[in-house]
Amino acid sequence: MAGAIIENMSTKKLVIVGVILLLFQAFAFMVGGLIAPSPTTAVHYLATKCVDITKHRVGTKWFMPWGPNQCDKIQSFDEAMAKKVEANNIVFAVHIPLPNKEMSPWFQFMLVILQFDIAFKMYNQIDEGAMAMIDVGLAYRDDTVSEWTEMAHSFEQRKLNCNFTTSKTFENEGRYYECDLLPFMEVGSVAHKYYLLNIRLPVNERKKINVGIGEIKDIRLVSIHQNGGFTKVWFAMKTFLTPSILIIMIWYWRRITLMSRPPVLLEKVILALGISMTFINIPVEWFSIGFNWTWMLLFGDIRQGIFYSMLLSFWIIFCGEHLMDQTERNRFSVYWKQVGPIVFGSFCLFIFDMCERGVQLTNPFYSIWASDVGTELAMAFIIVAGICACLYFLFLCFMVFQVFRNISGKRTSLPAMSKARRLHYEGLIFRFKFLMLVTLTCAAMTVIFFIISQVNEGHWHWGEHTVQVNSAFFTGIYGMWNLYVFAIMFLYAPSHKRYGDGQSSGQCITGDAGGNSGEDIQLTTTITHVDGPSEIYKMTGKEAQE
Amino acid sequence: MLDGHLLLGWLSFTVIVYLLNLPGPTTAYFGLTGNEPLSILPLNSLPEENVGRAHYKLCDRLKLEKKQRRMCRRDPGVAETLREAITMSALECQYQFRFERWNCTLEGRHRANILKRGFKETAFLYAISSAGLTHAMAKACSAGRMERCTCDEAPDLENRKAWQWGGCGDNLKYANKFVKDFLGKRSNKDLRARVDMHNTNVGMKVIKAGVETTCKCHGVSGSCTVQTCWRQLLPFHEIGKQLKQRYETSVKVGSSTNEATGEGEISTGRNQQLPPQQPPPQPLPGLNDQIPRTMDLLHIEDSPSFCRSSKYSSGTAARKCYKDKNCDAICCGRGHNTQSREVTRPCQCQVRWCCYVECKQCTQREEVYTCKG
Repeated sequence: MAGAIIENMSTKKLVIVGVILLLFQAFAFMVGGLIAPSPTTAVHYLATKCVDITKHRVGTKWFMPWGPNQCDKIQSFDEAMAKKVEANNIVFAVHIPLPNKEMSPWFQFMLVILQFDIAFKMYNQIDEGAMAMIDVGLAYRDDTVSEWTEMAHSFEQRKLNCNFTTSKTFENEGRYYECDLLPFMEVGSVAHKYYLLNIRLPVNERKKINVGIGEIKDIRLVSIHQNGGFTKVWFAMKTFLTPSILIIMIWYWRRITLMSRPPVLLEKVILALGISMTFINIPVEWFSIGFNWTWMLLFGDIRQGIFYSMLLSFWIIFCGEHLMDQTERNRFSVYWKQVGPIVFGSFCLFIFDMCERGVQLTNPFYSIWASDVGTELAMAFIIVAGICACLYFLFLCFMVFQVFRNISGKRTSLPAMSKARRLHYEGLIFRFKFLMLVTLTCAAMTVIFFIISQVNEGHWHWGEHTVQVNSAFFTGIYGMWNLYVFAIMFLYAPSHKRYGDGQSSGQCITGDAGGNSGEDIQLTTTITHVDGPSEIYKMTGKEAQE
Repeated sequence: MLDGHLLLGWLSFTVIVYLLNLPGPTTAYFGLTGNEPLSILPLNSLPEENVGRAHYKLCDRLKLEKKQRRMCRRDPGVAETLREAITMSALECQYQFRFERWNCTLEGRHRANILKRGFKETAFLYAISSAGLTHAMAKACSAGRMERCTCDEAPDLENRKAWQWGGCGDNLKYANKFVKDFLGKRSNKDLRARVDMHNTNVGMKVIKAGVETTCKCHGVSGSCTVQTCWRQLLPFHEIGKQLKQRYETSVKVGSSTNEATGEGEISTGRNQQLPPQQPPPQPLPGLNDQIPRTMDLLHIEDSPSFCRSSKYSSGTAARKCYKDKNCDAICCGRGHNTQSREVTRPCQCQVRWCCYVECKQCTQREEVYTCKG
């Protein structure tokens, strides 16, 4: 791949392209910051304690915390104790959303977190490693009057990870333990308007179920969903970006096929990068508005995973192809050592994701972190993936270092080279340095904005406007990597400057092209595929022009 | 259920005491500081279910101001929440002061008289009332008890749109706004009224300062590329504890009772050593009408001793105390009676998480200490 557009472009044009891209970048940030609301909303729910008075249960009865047909409530468990209500007859009911609101498919997903309020009692402390056994049912309906339809029902175990910060004395009775958040539920699509959760904590002393879990005072839930406005902005962005990347991809590939040589590895990898970007961009999420596709969340993860591994592979191969150490590469198999960790790491994450979100397709209450074996397994996957990532970055850093070493080596010998050879190397160096700079900038921007969005409270007030930092981060970074892929495909596409007026490279070559034909041949033999024959074409083309 | 529970049960009983309805100069507040008798508190009893306008009755019984009544009637959930707020703050106040000379007796004229003055105890009552109301409001919001909660600024259709577009503010924000509206912002020249207002605000601020932000990561494969944070209230026990600490370090402002002289002599007195992390007492401005912007509770005059029966309390005679702990302090040096008696109590209880306790009955000899009269 030689004679890329970037080398043959005048600085002026390059600056113009850069400015246009920067404008788009700023636009992407502004769309998120000014138009979109914050990406997600968390809503608190306090479970209402209902009493199940039915003696013989026929089918499932659903308990509503408020509104018409609400259940028989108790305020506290002291009341239950006085009324001699058994634990098995107490139902914690939570209606999602709160009164006068309804859920919408635009919310994309909903995940719910469980928190127990457990009061400290001297004679009823939480045992070491206590597990709470939760009998939970989820139902939905689409209008306020119809019957509830069951969506899922499950017995789940959650480990209570609580500690009591003050001393365990009589004086401190009634104060609450500090408990870890428990993952509770995750649904990948919000197709219905109303959801109802009924939670029970059945007690069975013989089987030691729900014994020694302390005095649970309340159950609190926090539900998190994507904001409808953010979804709309996000979809709009995807819908806009898909054709742009697609068009530049087709243009890029046409350029390559127009050449008389077969495409080299780097060109194929760039195309693959474009394809994976398009894969992420395609707004299939539009379907989630009409269809109840719960697998969308998992699918999104897979798409992102593919893109990330493609991007990482691209960096490695790009470095490798610019090593300038006269070895024959241009084959994917040469890079197995570097690409291996990426593939293996992302495979691990894929398995992990399948174990968590895959199982959640059938049981929304499933959590891999709930059981000890699951936790160890999940940790193992994540650690292996982490090691792979470290390995990869070591390889990448080493390669970049090698390239720079070679560059400085070549620099010293550049003046002694023939012009064509020098231009070739200068082109290589420029190409490499440019990508290096752009990549580092993008990566740094990502990290910086990530930190800003984490540190910040979520929004800035800027005059009369409220800037949603988190949304700006998502749209901005998403836009940035799109522009990155766009720029790479545009700038690293083979140039056909030989037809037009040679500007930067052409002018230099014309001077002594004739005298150096011997060395040119030598050049092409030593670094055939890295440069490809197009270099010769350029040379010959120039000569012909002369 | 052992001691703690019995204590609470006893406390809740004491709250159900009719109080005299005395109008005072800075009354018309709410909760423990309102002039209504705390008679609306048959605890734990549910109101008649939403039969029409049952909540109107409750609102009327709460003896609210005009604006407050309007806010109460607007939503059936409010009345219930107001009642819960009173209960909560009353119980917490009594819990926090159970070992003190003034044990937060809310009965009769004592409370009304305390509210007429500017003691530290007055300050605490104001603060715990507003804190209780804020807490109860936020809780009621998340329990779905209120019809209008967050997102209530606009007409109905727009609410729905707002919710679908960007969610709503959190319930704490709403609770704060509600309480500010409810308790009203009165500009008052009277120093005591302003101190009361300040203490009310301290209650709300303590709630606000005690908010914990919790986050959950839910990005690709559960990574932290996407995370959502929310604010969570501290348990009300913690709030009560913090307010009690502020009560102990309360700052005295204003010239002592004699406002007519207009000298503007302001004494800053702290009754106890500050915890180290607190800022040093700010130099108070020399004008009476300036109230320092602090998170400290303010009081105007020194508290009575609460030892003997007086306008403000029934004294500590016959109060139960704990030997080696607070008998000396509570009994004001009058000494205590020791009574030995046999008590049968449930013991070695096996408690299940709910509603079931299996206890043995143990008979113990127990010494009960009460203050001499």
